[in-house]
Amino acid sequence: MFIVPVRCSMTLLLLFNITNGLIVGAFYVLMALGLSLILNLSNTINFAHGGFLVIGGYIAYAITPYVGFWGALLIAPPLTAVIGLAVERVLIRPLYGRDPLYSLLLTFGLAFIIEDGTRFIFGPQGKPVTIPAFLAQPLSGDFFFITGYRLFMVAVVIIAVAALFLLLRYTRLGIRIRAGTLDLETVAALGINVGLLRSLNFGVGIYLAGLSGVLAAGQLGLEPTMGTGLLMPSFIAIIVGGIGSLPGTLLGGLLIGLASGLTAVFLPAASEAVIYVMMAVVLLIRPRGLLGEEGMMS
Amino acid sequence: MTTFTPKLDRRTLITGAAALGAFQVASPFIIQARGETAIRIGMVDPLTGVYAAPAGNEVMGAKLAVEQMNAKGGILGRQVELLVEDSANDVGTGVQKARKLIERDQVNFMIGDVNSGIAAAIAQVTAEKKILHIVSGGHTDSITGKDCKWNVFRVCNTTRMEANSVSSVLFSKYGKKWHFITPDYAFGHTLYDACTDDLKKLGGTVTGNELTPLGTTDFSAYLIKARAANPDVLILLVQGSDMINCLKQVVQFGLNKQIHVAGTQQELESLAALPPEARIGVWMFEWYWKQPGVAGVDKFVADIRKVNNGNVPTARHWFGYASAMSFALVANQQKTLDAVKLAAALENFELPDDVKLQPNKVYYRKGDHQLMTSAFVGEAQSKGKDDPEDLYRVDVVVPGDKTAPAVEETGCKVQWPA
Repeated sequence: MFIVPVRCSMTLLLLFNITNGLIVGAFYVLMALGLSLILNLSNTINFAHGGFLVIGGYIAYAITPYVGFWGALLIAPPLTAVIGLAVERVLIRPLYGRDPLYSLLLTFGLAFIIEDGTRFIFGPQGKPVTIPAFLAQPLSGDFFFITGYRLFMVAVVIIAVAALFLLLRYTRLGIRIRAGTLDLETVAALGINVGLLRSLNFGVGIYLAGLSGVLAAGQLGLEPTMGTGLLMPSFIAIIVGGIGSLPGTLLGGLLIGLASGLTAVFLPAASEAVIYVMMAVVLLIRPRGLLGEEGMMS
Repeated sequence: MTTFTPKLDRRTLITGAAALGAFQVASPFIIQARGETAIRIGMVDPLTGVYAAPAGNEVMGAKLAVEQMNAKGGILGRQVELLVEDSANDVGTGVQKARKLIERDQVNFMIGDVNSGIAAAIAQVTAEKKILHIVSGGHTDSITGKDCKWNVFRVCNTTRMEANSVSSVLFSKYGKKWHFITPDYAFGHTLYDACTDDLKKLGGTVTGNELTPLGTTDFSAYLIKARAANPDVLILLVQGSDMINCLKQVVQFGLNKQIHVAGTQQELESLAALPPEARIGVWMFEWYWKQPGVAGVDKFVADIRKVNNGNVPTARHWFGYASAMSFALVANQQKTLDAVKLAAALENFELPDDVKLQPNKVYYRKGDHQLMTSAFVGEAQSKGKDDPEDLYRVDVVVPGDKTAPAVEETGCKVQWPA
């Protein structure tokens, strides 16, 4: 029964938790990048981002019996993005000219509606999501926390982040999004359809939320309330990393995962509080965030 | 031409992030039709948040009870209404909703809450307002222990009863070195104390205790620590979606192949939400739907199936049902709504077969007002044999007065109003 005797020194325990923290952080990165994209170009604090994550997860749950896990992984995120585009077009676009508080309140309400809607359709009881058996195994007895699925998640995050950064750097759409983030007025004056640009950008952000949802569903199962819990660390990742900077968001996500992993070794009860402390410290010492640009959103 | 957004400042973003914390406070509520002369039962339960599934089931059970009592003439010949409020798993919200039910809606009785911390806080309010209160599903000892009140009764087990029912089985079956994953609030703390007391008496040792915040999604850091301590058995005391997330990760990490994984309280809601391979371990259920030959159970299962998408009742359905039924039974017996008289009459009040729905004698104990309800000790099953929801095998049904400590040990001294 007890195959693996664990020789656990403090250094090993630390190493475990650093690795584990980075894995957890990678997930926050995926979620926070979508949030950050939308925030940067549309000045919309998308409180419903967690809701879209839940939608992505439940779509995956609903279609898995027909298309399997891999099919769901391919299909659910774009479907979520389509719903996101519709929401943006109908609800959020009319608020672009107004104070950001309007869209904040709108998405805040939307988050409630999505949560209760999911509860209404799928019930409050959690739903298990089955992942392919070969991913469900830990790689070794000692490093039991590195399962195939978690490595797969990290791989998906790396691919998604790389694709996003390539998109932003080399495609026309990406260049426009970056330009729009810096100076939307000039971009519009150059004849670019800003409404369309914002829609596409919103769609990309929600695609990432949907992708996070499918990945989270495989890891945690599904609950209508799961979005709220995952949203907060993503916000903090953005603030720590620096508003307006996507590399900052990437760094912020990894850092808070790492911080909560390390705190768990010494003071488990504080492993959640530590990310708020980090946010407070960053705001006090470097209010624009670690990689945030001076003057951006200040 | 597009209009441009005023630039968002950082303060707005941070204000917004703070508002997210307030997410839990605002909440929807359900109210049934009201009549002039109806008797009102108020119910406060966390319909949203980590305990949404058990709370929803308690409400469903209470609704069935109200329908059944109305069909038989209600309470004192008056129809009964159930007014349900969402505590949103937040103490402040729960207290506020309880006050609203008592002050504005003038409820005669109160049921709630799943969350021990909220249940204890609501008990303060009902005691102050002299409302007969049954705690349906909050387990922490103090409610019928050192903080007991003349007006407060409890249907579900105390954490100590839960630990006592299953500790010796876990010890003899799995080994003597235990490591705990404990939810960091009232329920978890008292359950942990009860388990460790039992473990010490049995001669075992605690290798550690991981206190996890309610609503934790990722348990990996705690599991790494627990594994490093090399216990014989990992005891999971978390509940609701925390139990689901934790047990799921335990199995994904293959920890159950290295150490035993089990616990005290387990619920059908949690097992149903788990993939088959994660339905493992020895636990105790507080009620189970499959009890061949026990009077009234089959009818109750059939009645709940009708309103629950064909699904069977869980312990939570029974908690809500038994709580609401207790009010009707005692009020109709005493022919009064006077809270003090009814509370006195509930002491040593025995539940009839069609309400207790289990083999042993079930009664509210005089002295601490705790229902002496059974523990269904057994093992989770990955797949139901005859029914997809038969996810638990009951090995032994232990009566409540065998698991509950004596009244003197509970620390309860009921103070009756002058």
